[in-house]
Amino acid sequence: MSSSETDSLIQTLADQAGAGRDRTPFAFDRIFPIAAALSLTVSVAIVLVLVGLRPHLLAVEQRTPFAFKIASTLSLACGAFFLTRRAVRPGSADLSLLALLPGVLLLVFRAATDQSGLPVMGHSDVAAAVCVGRILMVSLPSLWLMLCVLRTGAAIRPGIAGALAGLLSGALGATAHSLGCVNDGGLFVAIWYSAAMLIMTGLGAAVGRRVLAW
Amino acid sequence: MESREHLWAEAMRAERGGDSAAYAWLLKEIADLLRRLIRYRVVQLGLNAHETEDVVQEVLIGLHTKRHTWDGDRPFLPWLHAIVRYKIADVVRQHRREARHRIHLTLDELAELVEAPAENLDRLLLDVDRHLSDLPQGQQTVVRALAVEGASVRSMAEKLQTSEGAVRVTFHRALQQLMAKAEPARTKTAKGKF
Repeated sequence: MSSSETDSLIQTLADQAGAGRDRTPFAFDRIFPIAAALSLTVSVAIVLVLVGLRPHLLAVEQRTPFAFKIASTLSLACGAFFLTRRAVRPGSADLSLLALLPGVLLLVFRAATDQSGLPVMGHSDVAAAVCVGRILMVSLPSLWLMLCVLRTGAAIRPGIAGALAGLLSGALGATAHSLGCVNDGGLFVAIWYSAAMLIMTGLGAAVGRRVLAW
Repeated sequence: MESREHLWAEAMRAERGGDSAAYAWLLKEIADLLRRLIRYRVVQLGLNAHETEDVVQEVLIGLHTKRHTWDGDRPFLPWLHAIVRYKIADVVRQHRREARHRIHLTLDELAELVEAPAENLDRLLLDVDRHLSDLPQGQQTVVRALAVEGASVRSMAEKLQTSEGAVRVTFHRALQQLMAKAEPARTKTAKGKF
């Protein structure tokens, strides 16, 4: 193709100047936190409707494990939130996995210091599978929502942006799931919650590679 | 003189205000930059020189569709750099995929090529030579004279001081042995290709 064709292309594009005014990054910065909050709300709603709050949520002996679950999953969600936002904004600083460190440390710390002796596989034979399955179930709608919002950005590495979106929705789903989850063992949470979040990360990467490319 | 960063960022802001002329100027500037960049690295990118303009256009379209992701409060050049790098890599990947498609060979086509006789004459002649040297001395002489050098059966019989029939029999046996040696090799190479 010749450069005269490029010149006419430039003229066509230039005629659309100003047409994207309503889609500035400020709009994305407004929408993305709303989408994250909405994801958490939807996930919590699904847990409350399908599973219900765990009994005696505020009993003294259950406060510590519950607090650790909420704190670690929410920390991971926050880290993933900031990384995801960066991943779809060209020219921003490099992604740093340090943002995920607080959440990971909380999970590891709880697993290492838990003296309760609760079983790694949970209260029943299928507890682990049920737990992972439920987290995936409540995370999937969030992933869909996240990917829709991220498409308005520009992912320089679509696979990584998708993976981060998957981790974000998985962490939000795990936060919601802990409202109904009765397995408090530190190792149980560290292994099975992480497994569910990793599956969501992988799924996000696989889907993101395609839908976030432009 | 004002820096390129400043001028280009101003033009991007003008675009948001609907200034077509400023935006067209900016796109032309960027197109020039891209041409220089791509021409300089065209071999490295695995593209033909005449594909340069394709890449320039792809990058411009990508930049245009994602121009809203530039935050006017941030520097413009890092944003441009990220966009250009992504889009060039994307186009190169597409071209590679198409190139692979162009040389795509079906199994049937391959089978036809393999079946075709004398696909490699030099190779066949080498094989004949190798197998011939495996034959007994008498048979070797006959086959070399008749098949490779093209002598007649009668002149062979006179030369070896034997009957024409004996020469024919020797030749026939030698051929049978050669066939037996060549056949398994042929089937083996054919199998090896699939």
